[in-house]
Amino acid sequence: MDVRQRTSRRDFIRIGFLGTSAALLAACGQQAPAAPPTAAPAAPGQFTNAQPVVQMTPTAAAKPAAPAADAKPTAAPAAAAKPTEAPKPAADAKPSTVGAVEGVRQVPRNRTMVLSFAGTGAAEGRWTDYELWNRYALGANMQNGGLLFYEPVYYYSAFADKWIPWLAEDHKFSDDFKQLTYKIRSGINWSDGQPFTAEDIAFTLNSLREMGPKVALGNEVQQAVADAKATDPTTLVINFKLPSPRWNLYMAFGAGLGIYIVPKHIFEKVDDWSKFTFYDPEKGWPVSTTQWKVVHTSPQQKLIDRKDSWWAAERGLSRMSKVERLVYIAYTTETQAAQLFISNQLDASLDVRPATMEQILAQNPKVTTWTGNEKPYGYTDQWPTNLMINNTKPPFDDKDIRWAISYFIDRDKVVQIGNRGAGSRSPLPLPNTPAIRPYFDAVKDLLKQYDTNEFNPEKGAKLLEGKGYTKGADGLWAKGGEKITLPINGWAVFSDIGPVISEMLKQQGIDASYQTPPDFNDQAIKGTYTGYMTGTGGSWVDPYFHMRLFQSASGLGAVPVNISRWKNDEYDKIVDQFVQTPLTEKDKLLGLYVKAMEQWIPNLPVPQITEWYHRIPCNQTYWTGWPTNKDPYVTAPSGTGRFR
Amino acid sequence: MRFDYLLKRLGIFLAVIWVASTLNFLLPRLSTQNPIRDKLMSQAASTGYLQLALEEMTAEYEAKFGLDRPVWQQYIAYMTDVFRLDFNYSITNYPRTVLSMIQDALPWTIGLLGTTTLIAFTLGTLLGALMGWPRSPKFISRLLFPPLLTLSAIPGYLLGLVLVYILSFQLKMFPTFGGYTIGTIPNWSSVAFWGDILYHSILPALAIILGAVGTWALGMRAMMVTTQGEDYMVFAQAKGLKGSTLFMRYAVRNALLPQATGLALALGNILSGAVLVEVIFAYPGIGTTLFHAIRENDYFLIQGIIIGIIASLGVATLILDLIYPILDPRITYKKT
Repeated sequence: MDVRQRTSRRDFIRIGFLGTSAALLAACGQQAPAAPPTAAPAAPGQFTNAQPVVQMTPTAAAKPAAPAADAKPTAAPAAAAKPTEAPKPAADAKPSTVGAVEGVRQVPRNRTMVLSFAGTGAAEGRWTDYELWNRYALGANMQNGGLLFYEPVYYYSAFADKWIPWLAEDHKFSDDFKQLTYKIRSGINWSDGQPFTAEDIAFTLNSLREMGPKVALGNEVQQAVADAKATDPTTLVINFKLPSPRWNLYMAFGAGLGIYIVPKHIFEKVDDWSKFTFYDPEKGWPVSTTQWKVVHTSPQQKLIDRKDSWWAAERGLSRMSKVERLVYIAYTTETQAAQLFISNQLDASLDVRPATMEQILAQNPKVTTWTGNEKPYGYTDQWPTNLMINNTKPPFDDKDIRWAISYFIDRDKVVQIGNRGAGSRSPLPLPNTPAIRPYFDAVKDLLKQYDTNEFNPEKGAKLLEGKGYTKGADGLWAKGGEKITLPINGWAVFSDIGPVISEMLKQQGIDASYQTPPDFNDQAIKGTYTGYMTGTGGSWVDPYFHMRLFQSASGLGAVPVNISRWKNDEYDKIVDQFVQTPLTEKDKLLGLYVKAMEQWIPNLPVPQITEWYHRIPCNQTYWTGWPTNKDPYVTAPSGTGRFR
Repeated sequence: MRFDYLLKRLGIFLAVIWVASTLNFLLPRLSTQNPIRDKLMSQAASTGYLQLALEEMTAEYEAKFGLDRPVWQQYIAYMTDVFRLDFNYSITNYPRTVLSMIQDALPWTIGLLGTTTLIAFTLGTLLGALMGWPRSPKFISRLLFPPLLTLSAIPGYLLGLVLVYILSFQLKMFPTFGGYTIGTIPNWSSVAFWGDILYHSILPALAIILGAVGTWALGMRAMMVTTQGEDYMVFAQAKGLKGSTLFMRYAVRNALLPQATGLALALGNILSGAVLVEVIFAYPGIGTTLFHAIRENDYFLIQGIIIGIIASLGVATLILDLIYPILDPRITYKKT
């Protein structure tokens, strides 16, 4: 083939250029992102929704009174409070959107709340789970807006230590705690108009039991629940295989524990829940009983609008939210979040390290925190930080070596340097919430005898010497030429204190190093790690969910991953007893906890380091009335869904 | 062009694709990281709650993704999928498919990288030609050479950081990240929305162009200098041709050939994105997707993107090979 015979090179190049340009244009045109979904069709007569808790106020309006918290589970709903009329937008309020789509209204910036969170559904500034509104799909993370579309049968207020009935009016356990009966509220509808009944809850529980490990929490339901029945639309009876006095915790939301109730009329047609997105704008999915609806979702942002009404507002359980639109953008880095706060593009975000917080507060006086401009800028979470140590790896299989490591860590300095003074020490793997505080008191004497926060290099050195270790010329402890090597794995959130702890241990003669390998999670579960900066979480009401993280086996069924790999048969038995003891038998629970800690504390499987603080910047440029330590009506809007 | 050459070249193209695809299958599996376990643990860490029997759930999903099968079976399934252009589900973004994730990101990358590559090529080539042309005013070379030499040594992502700091953070002229304004509902029929996209792409585009223009310019300058000594240039000058004719039709035209090769490879490489620049600007392109996939060891997503890159590079070099005789009459595949 000789093209030159038919076409000159100049012609070919001209044609080629034009053709390539046309092809590129065509390709770009064809591959342009799909048109955004249209808004869910408004369902006539559907209930109102609005999740209760955070009662934010646009800056143009007066701050509303704090919502009344319903104390007793059995109490009737408070007298209906009229939904407060949202103030009119300020005259200069600009629409928050540049483009516009027919049928989707524009919302002024001072009626829009912009939030930035992360978690497993976000990466490098984009949502990967943007079409995922089904909690039971593998990739789902309810921190990123998903939780807005689910309501529990009860709420639990960790700050007030109160149970607040929500979709249920009341509940009652049988004497042996093997049966739980809920009285479900009547007259609540899903957003597609179908009635919400006890049948939906029974269906959810029975489906989870059948699916087991195929979906999140399936194993836990399979282990505990024999069956669930709706004896009538407002009565749900759950029969358990074992006494399950803590089951109401599963039916409330908190720390990833919640069993999210799904609409039976939709999910019963779904074969595989693990890949069902529950997103279809034409069908109005996700349907929910809440006050929110998805109006747009893309890798860049999730736009969630408030509906006009909500059953809970109509019944006086809550006000309608004054936030008319929530914009969730994916978190990238602290630096970028700081820039957005300083330029008033962001209202609240995932927590930031103290150094970043100080920069934000210094450069934007409109930003505040849980403790205002004062340290520690946040509240303690249920996830105290510890230096997880693999108890099966020599020499850390020896409790004296673990204690020596603990004595070498100066927690006050960790707080002072790593947290810039905005933090505090944590003596136990337990959250410092009102309901759990008595458990700290119960082991006070034990902690005096074995101070888990003590910084005492001399004691640590004596322990090592007692084990035959000597300090070499290099300043490192060694025995038979073997140093005490402690590589500590960590991840982004420990970038502040991880290197400090590592350096501290080095100075005391431990061959420590801090690293952030990509497979740190894998190493933790497989037990190939040596040291691992992490936290322990799960408990709000009593210490059970923290205690079970150190169980090596259970007579009741499966146990969670025991990352420390500490093994203590006595401790295992006590935890099994603990979980079968009703929450109401507080003395017995306290006694069992002390017994468990008599095993745990002297052996110190894991040195405790600091409390975990949610330090969340809250921007008052467009919204005021953020929760604070002076007005703790709810936790600040962290990603774990406590923001409503 | 001979038919047997064409056939041989196509054969080589297919062999390259096969070898690269096989490596693409094996390399992510050398890592000990289990993406499913990692995903479940990340979820646990972010909520603070570690659910029961996490390993059972990991095993369940390994079976679902076919990762519980022997590696040779996985390889056969993978090659079959590649052949059908079906890259399975993304492990860490399940139930999203790899193809849908690539489709989401691709237009952004093609738009940004395609445009910036062409701009950088045109600008760099032009400046390089002027710098290498002895009849150009001296100030052009003196003024342009030092900054272009400097820029050629600085990677785009580093320039990106500098640009963000100066133009976004300090001067607040441009947005710091994203493909369009926070809160914007994409409306592809709105001129304002397209303007917004353009506004958001200026900084990443500038970082890529500034990072690449120096390289193009220095390459072209060197080629222009080389052409000066060629016989055809001496002949053209002896004929008394005009300076502009000598410049455009004799010097630039001949010096362009290696640049054209570079352009074809650069265009073929567009799919790989300017990974770090995209990450810095949180630009929703294929580079960001690849970065995320590698970090989480999402086998299927890595495979899907890399296959795309391999194929586009393979196609680019194949086309270049085939059209080279047309661009340069001295090259021929005819039998002698």
